Amino acid sequence: MRRLSAGLWPLTVANVKSFYRDRASLFWTFAFPIIFVVLFGSIFSGRATTFNLGWVDEDRSPASQQLREAFAGVSILALTDADQAAALDEMNEGTLDAVLVVPAGLGEQMTPARSGPPFQLVLYTDPSQQTASTTVAQVVSQVVGGINLVVAGVPPALGVTMQALQTQDISAAAYFVPSILGMALMQLGVFAAIPLVAQREKGILKRLNATPLSRATLVTSNVLMRLAIAILQTVLIVGIGVVAFGVTVVGNLVVVAGFIVLGAVTFLAIGYLIASYARTEESANALTSVVQFPLMFLSGIFFPIDFMPEWLQPVAAIMPLTYLGDALRQTMVGGAAYAPLPIDALVLGAWVVVCSLLSARFFRWQ
Amino acid sequence: MTHPRSAIATARAGLAPVVSVVDLRKSYGPVRAVDGVTFEMAAGEVFGLLGPNGAGKTTTIEMLEGLLKPDSGTANVLGIDITRHPDQLKERIGVQLQTAALYPNLTVVELIYLFGSFYAKRRSTTELIGELGLEERASALSRELSGGQRQRLSIALALVNDPELIFLDEPTTGLDPQGRRSLWEHIEGLRKQGRTILLTTHYMEEAEQLCDRVAIMDHGQILEMGTVNELVTRHFRERTVRFATHERLADERLSGLTGVKRVAHESDETVLYTSEVPQTVGALLKLGDELGLQDLDLAVRRPTLEDVFIELTGRALRD
Repeated sequence: MRRLSAGLWPLTVANVKSFYRDRASLFWTFAFPIIFVVLFGSIFSGRATTFNLGWVDEDRSPASQQLREAFAGVSILALTDADQAAALDEMNEGTLDAVLVVPAGLGEQMTPARSGPPFQLVLYTDPSQQTASTTVAQVVSQVVGGINLVVAGVPPALGVTMQALQTQDISAAAYFVPSILGMALMQLGVFAAIPLVAQREKGILKRLNATPLSRATLVTSNVLMRLAIAILQTVLIVGIGVVAFGVTVVGNLVVVAGFIVLGAVTFLAIGYLIASYARTEESANALTSVVQFPLMFLSGIFFPIDFMPEWLQPVAAIMPLTYLGDALRQTMVGGAAYAPLPIDALVLGAWVVVCSLLSARFFRWQ
Repeated sequence: MTHPRSAIATARAGLAPVVSVVDLRKSYGPVRAVDGVTFEMAAGEVFGLLGPNGAGKTTTIEMLEGLLKPDSGTANVLGIDITRHPDQLKERIGVQLQTAALYPNLTVVELIYLFGSFYAKRRSTTELIGELGLEERASALSRELSGGQRQRLSIALALVNDPELIFLDEPTTGLDPQGRRSLWEHIEGLRKQGRTILLTTHYMEEAEQLCDRVAIMDHGQILEMGTVNELVTRHFRERTVRFATHERLADERLSGLTGVKRVAHESDETVLYTSEVPQTVGALLKLGDELGLQDLDLAVRRPTLEDVFIELTGRALRD
């Protein structure tokens, strides 16, 4: 029996050396996503700092005034007072990102002796402005949550909640950094098909097959190398997000790392499947390009799925990048969920299993 | 057909044959690439499969390397049934493939080290680099090597596990004459170390130079097998007298000369087959004198493997 470990480390080192001596693949793997992050960051950073929130106070009590102060203390919100009709008009024209209505009756509710269901504030958001609507919704619910906590405990200390809020820095960058990371992991995996097909076409795989090296070792070594690159990409992309655009990683790092590995393995399995069908390096090149665009644009990674034509939405609902992007957004920056994390993991896992079985069946070594 | 030399070598070594192939077959669709090949190799022997492109040499050698599965027939290599235990076999053989490229972005040292790591038994990288004369290119990337250097590197990789049997598939194809001669010296060196080598080639000089025994293959079958001498004498009792064809030396006159059995033409040469070389040459020179031809540019030689091949298949080897 051949040992799996025989040659595994030297082969992985050899793969890494081959990789970094190839300038073109270095560019696509590292420079390209970095350019993307910087470009997106620059486009959105102006918008990211403040969102315009229309403030409609129908209560006009000391309590609603205190609530207004609480929101005014949130650095990324700029409040504009208006009545409801005027505020909604402005939102339609695009000068306001969202409108918060405080209905009459808040003052009576905000007493220690209150009873009945919670008092409802009404928030108008525009789902076509995904970043703005999700950010504002999150800020509002955090402020309200903070106030609820305080009211339940010590009634008069409304001001305390603001400090808790200011540690939560949410910017647009927090939303596109996980997307770009997802895209980079997708390309890393899918593009793995090209060197693999090239190695087969040149007879390198055949030459390896003439040695005692096992195929399991060969595949493991390739996966290990790609994972090492995935970690480097993550550090670079997230690092730039943190340093240049003030992104904060809020989630559990182990869960984040788990999804990065799962995502890399998912797209590697797709890459191997492509390598099973492509016969020449040229056809592998063409096939990866053809495959990566639907993977990217039919997924909800750069714009919300609600935005797509209805007949395309079921397609997006099976795309692996939809779930990787969703999981990364949730775990890294606390973004709104498209699906619960276990579902994200399950869908990605299903892709790994199906693609691995197909490529195990159809992959040719020579 | 008996092969005394092989039998003697086997007896001398007191061992089973290193390679023993019986009725090996492999088809690709309707094409019978290897169509019933049978041969044996003794320890320490350099055995050549000689034939044109498409004769089935590479398919045969790749089945013996454990890379291709035969359709039928048996093959034991180093006492291992190749269809049952190709993994055991790969540990003990050295392989140079005809078409295999190497990782283009790794250096000579890195490649030898990498391939060594696949085997339980390995030779020192420095020693191999010295043996194949690659010292000056040790830190060059494999894509920067010349054709000859690359072939020497791929032979170094075939030797990395100190193999008991070495397979060389067309080792000199694509090399210039100088590169070919240099590689021959390295293969000669391996033979002098007593290594057992199976090589394929479509250059008859290569087979004549390097091989103890050759098998001539065509259309997936072995047509003849033996030492170069055996093959030539088996087919040709005569020697050949050759000279530049001249219009005044008509075939009818030449065939009447003493000892001449047959007159043939190869490109711009006339070839006389004769069993009595001195008499034929004397008669030819006399005839030339009579016709006033001064310099006939005569050459006498033994028929070659090429002649044997033409005799067997009716066409030239390199067509």
